[in-house]
Amino acid sequence: MPVTVETPLEKWTGKVREVTLGATRDQKGTRSKTVTVGGETTLPFLHFEGSIPHPPVIAIEIQDSYPSDWSPVLLNAWGDTLKDPAEWAKKAEALGADLIMLRLRGVNGDGSETTGAQAAAVTKAVLQATGLPLIVRGPGQAEKDNELLVAVAEAAAGERLALGLCEDKNYRTIVAAALAHGHLVINSTPIDVNLAKQLNILVSDMQMEPDRILMDPTTGALGYGLEYTYSVMERLRIAALTGDSMTQMPMICFTGEESWRQKESKVGEGVPAAWGDWTRRGILWEAVTAVALLEAGADIVTLRHPDSVPIVRKAIEQLMAH
Amino acid sequence: MSENTFTVTFQPSGVVAQARAGEILSDVALAAGVPISLPCGGQGRCGRCKVVITRGEAERKTTVRLTATELEQGYALACQTRVQGDLEVFVPPIEEVIVRRLPTERGAERAYELPAACDWAAKPTLRKVHLQIEPPSLLDNTTDFERVSRELARQYDIRNLTVALPTLRRLARALRDADWDVTLTLEMSTWTSPDGPPRLLDVAPGDQTQTLYGIAVDIGTTSNVVYLVDMVAGRVVDTASAYNLQISCGEDVISRIIYAKKPGGLEHLQRLVVQTINGLIEELCARNNIAGTEIHKMTVAGNTTMTHLFLGLDPEAIRLEPYIPTITHPSPVRAHELGIHINPDATVDCLPGVGAYVGGDITAGVLSSKLYTTDKLSLFIDVGTNGEIVLGNADWLISCACSAGPAFEGAGVQSGMRATVGAIEEVWISAKTYEPTYRTIGDAPPEGICGSGMISLLAEMFISGVMDKAGKLNRTLNTPRIRMGEHGPEYVVAWASETRGKKNDIVITEVDIANLIRAKAAIYAGFSVLTRSVGIELADVEQVLIGGAFGKYIDVEKAIQIGLLPDMPWDRFHYLGNTSALGAYAALLCADMRQAVVEIANKMTYLELSADNTFMDQFTSALFLPHTDTASFPSVMRLLQSVGRRSQETQ
Repeated sequence: MPVTVETPLEKWTGKVREVTLGATRDQKGTRSKTVTVGGETTLPFLHFEGSIPHPPVIAIEIQDSYPSDWSPVLLNAWGDTLKDPAEWAKKAEALGADLIMLRLRGVNGDGSETTGAQAAAVTKAVLQATGLPLIVRGPGQAEKDNELLVAVAEAAAGERLALGLCEDKNYRTIVAAALAHGHLVINSTPIDVNLAKQLNILVSDMQMEPDRILMDPTTGALGYGLEYTYSVMERLRIAALTGDSMTQMPMICFTGEESWRQKESKVGEGVPAAWGDWTRRGILWEAVTAVALLEAGADIVTLRHPDSVPIVRKAIEQLMAH
Repeated sequence: MSENTFTVTFQPSGVVAQARAGEILSDVALAAGVPISLPCGGQGRCGRCKVVITRGEAERKTTVRLTATELEQGYALACQTRVQGDLEVFVPPIEEVIVRRLPTERGAERAYELPAACDWAAKPTLRKVHLQIEPPSLLDNTTDFERVSRELARQYDIRNLTVALPTLRRLARALRDADWDVTLTLEMSTWTSPDGPPRLLDVAPGDQTQTLYGIAVDIGTTSNVVYLVDMVAGRVVDTASAYNLQISCGEDVISRIIYAKKPGGLEHLQRLVVQTINGLIEELCARNNIAGTEIHKMTVAGNTTMTHLFLGLDPEAIRLEPYIPTITHPSPVRAHELGIHINPDATVDCLPGVGAYVGGDITAGVLSSKLYTTDKLSLFIDVGTNGEIVLGNADWLISCACSAGPAFEGAGVQSGMRATVGAIEEVWISAKTYEPTYRTIGDAPPEGICGSGMISLLAEMFISGVMDKAGKLNRTLNTPRIRMGEHGPEYVVAWASETRGKKNDIVITEVDIANLIRAKAAIYAGFSVLTRSVGIELADVEQVLIGGAFGKYIDVEKAIQIGLLPDMPWDRFHYLGNTSALGAYAALLCADMRQAVVEIANKMTYLELSADNTFMDQFTSALFLPHTDTASFPSVMRLLQSVGRRSQETQ
């Protein structure tokens, strides 16, 4: 006897917020296009259940000075481009990035500390070199972050940059700068649903509109706690879909940074032969991490290797096809 | 003298003690009988056992909580200092508060209400009967005891009399001295033998049936309370309370358990609590003109660790996973076995606990709060050094304990103090100027902040915007009261010039705030886990019964604002005072009530939070003001909105 099977559908009441990065000339910015993420009304890629109006996007990470601490695989792939952030941004755009993420190292190539003016200058140079919306991250040390990001926010007023990272111990200055100059912020919390929600509340309490906030749930690379990351992201997304407004921010995952930090990507010698070709291994490590996090609900993944980009792009296309 | 032994001279007492090389200074002091306060049990965490090494050599294992200036002046932590040579040590005076008696509630219009089911006259635990006995003769040569038994059966229908040796030894003389006209004091039942047989406790001359006394004792970690009960009239005659002298050996149960491991530590702790109780008994006897031997029963309610220490049982396994007490329901013991100064043969009865962290104080609380007879879904909380929570009604009971820590009792907080004169107990902060006003106990110049003051301060700092919902001070505000201190960012509650000592500002630091938020989060997470474990919503709770000494001073409004108590209409909260002592009082008086406590203990399910995988999640969720789930605190959200609007209007 034929059996009719009805696909069980979850009726979610909530929706991920739509967040737009970048501003065009009409919107008092200089970007050639804007990028909108979020808006999902279902869990990742369950097209049969709800709508996913915007595909996840890829940001390519660039740095303001030569990243000598990076894996040789990355240094070889990019070559001299790494010495010029503007050139680097151009090449990233050509490679098909949706966004550029500029990471301020805090220390210049000559070992001196980056000043606010220098951070502002490099941001402007990158903005001129590319028409893509920009994410700007500080070096990750509270006082330096505040100093540099305030300068960047001012210099790029109106561009709807995403500035980060805001943490529970240091968010006021960055949020205030973003508010004053029309930017977005990225809230970062250590792999915990409650903490993520708490920071979103704290930042919202400063009158930052919820649709100007992205959240970084803190992610691990493949083999380094990815499953824990996955479960926390899934819980965050379920909370958002069940209507908890303070978890409805789109998620950004710094995939490239995480995966290229691991031994498998960073070390080429003295590892088992069975690990295979170093370059291929590093690229796959990054791509697999990124795709796993997309499946967990990431709206933006940041990548470092040029060859990871098409792999992740293809995966996104396939996941979005329905 | 052997080369490995040194002489330690303690000043100002002048006590001289011998110490082995490497011996811990506080142990040397303990052995020599020099009182040194060890609030953390000697773990080197609290910094309260400060002494000054005025001469000689000593190794400081750690110097936490000592400032650079203090180190220069020779300060050391007694529990962290090893003797390395002959020493002279100056011991600063111990906090006066430790030896101070708590103000008694005498004379206050207080109702010591008994549960309705307490028909103590019908089922008394103690009874006195007057007997006029025919003296023996050659014709009737029955023994003294048989003679008493026979008359008791004949005149009062009381049969199967038993007697313990000490009373038996006194019997012949007592009967003859009284010319065979005596009053017998009888213990009619204990929980182990609810239907008797009766036991003869005392023989007194003439008719003394008008007076019969018992005591109900609450052994709290912080304070001990004794009710003197008139067992004839069934009422509390007088009460007395004092700080548990064990405080000098640790402020919370864990510190005491650690202290008990020291050589002689357990015996010392047992002596201290008995000393505290005997002091209170003495005070009550003197004030009411009775002799200690006229007290014929003692019922004790205490948490599991306090009960262990009172009985001299090794508490070590309570602290370690899987948290196993020696016993939760000890059999009755005799007063002389414990050194309690009442009638030596009187029963000392400890009320039963449920688990390592839910003890007889809580079963007593369930009894006196009448939770066990109500149809209403009720939450009973006893917030002290530990927070114990019971959820249920007449049909079922479930309990848990959360380790709130002593922050709300003033410990572990820089400017914290107990609720005594000079403690800031209420604070208001302007949302415009961020200036505080405060009220102190006794309207004295401030010396520190007590638990209720902490709750009030936390709520005001949060509502006024001095700090954010995560407990971080807003350092962008334009006020000199928010500044960087030695221990990070801090808020000045009172300038030095306003204080009694005129030396130090009274501040609350971000570290203090984090401690307090952790304490309130532990308690609220307990509520959440307990209600979830039985599949109900916290909002469904129809009444919240607040027991414990601290409960009396909690301002419900402020406690809700910081998310310590659930956000529900204030009329659902009821203060019950010392529910532990009240429960002990009912169980002392009435055999049925004593059986009810047994049933409560048997019926109560104990949820071990450390074995519950949702606790951490609920705890993190509660580590926020008022809570990460803001929807659970609608009244606080409305208040914040209105304060926000007002401050915007004035800008």
